Amino acid sequence: MARTPFTNDIKTLRFFAGEMTQGDLGDRVGVTRQTIAAIEQGKYSPSLEVAFRIAQIFGKPLEEVFQWSGDFD
Amino acid sequence: MSFREKIHWVAFFSLIMGFGWYFVSYPWAVANTRAGMLTSVWMLLPTTIIFLVPMVAGTAWLAIRTPKEANLKEDEREKTIHLKGTHAAYYPLVLGIWANVFALINGLNYGWSVNILMATLVSAELIRVAAQLYFYRRGY
Repeated sequence: MARTPFTNDIKTLRFFAGEMTQGDLGDRVGVTRQTIAAIEQGKYSPSLEVAFRIAQIFGKPLEEVFQWSGDFD
Repeated sequence: MSFREKIHWVAFFSLIMGFGWYFVSYPWAVANTRAGMLTSVWMLLPTTIIFLVPMVAGTAWLAIRTPKEANLKEDEREKTIHLKGTHAAYYPLVLGIWANVFALINGLNYGWSVNILMATLVSAELIRVAAQLYFYRRGY
């Protein structure tokens, strides 16, 4: 199964944000709970808009939420 | 499993039930006659009932159980899945049209023509829904 070339800390950030659920985060971002789960598991690559929205909700810069782990070639 | 994925499962099995009955029950011996064509048209009525009743009932039941999810708009991942499924359905549509052209050239008319077009539509729908279910399961 293809994985996105980046990792993310959404699960940890949710935990530290008062144990926010995937559903709560999805509601605030404007996507379904299943989409948040797919992003967390590295199965789905979100649009820049959704990535920025997620980062904004946690009050973090984008690179603290998503970290590039693939090759640039 | 999301609301949309569930209704795709309902649609998938409803299609198989409705059109499965149609293609199994169709009198293939008279397919190449005018009666064969009229039988096709007549059989669409019960086929539509067999197909639509479980689909409408299933969707309504799921919507009543999870009204919040039912009212949600498609998000970007679901839109991508939708587009990928529709793209996959294009291929059986093209193949079906070619099959119909080939059949007409070779003297298969009336019921054959209607049935090949119907099979084309049904297979395209099945592939669309199955592809979407696959992408829902895979994550995108």
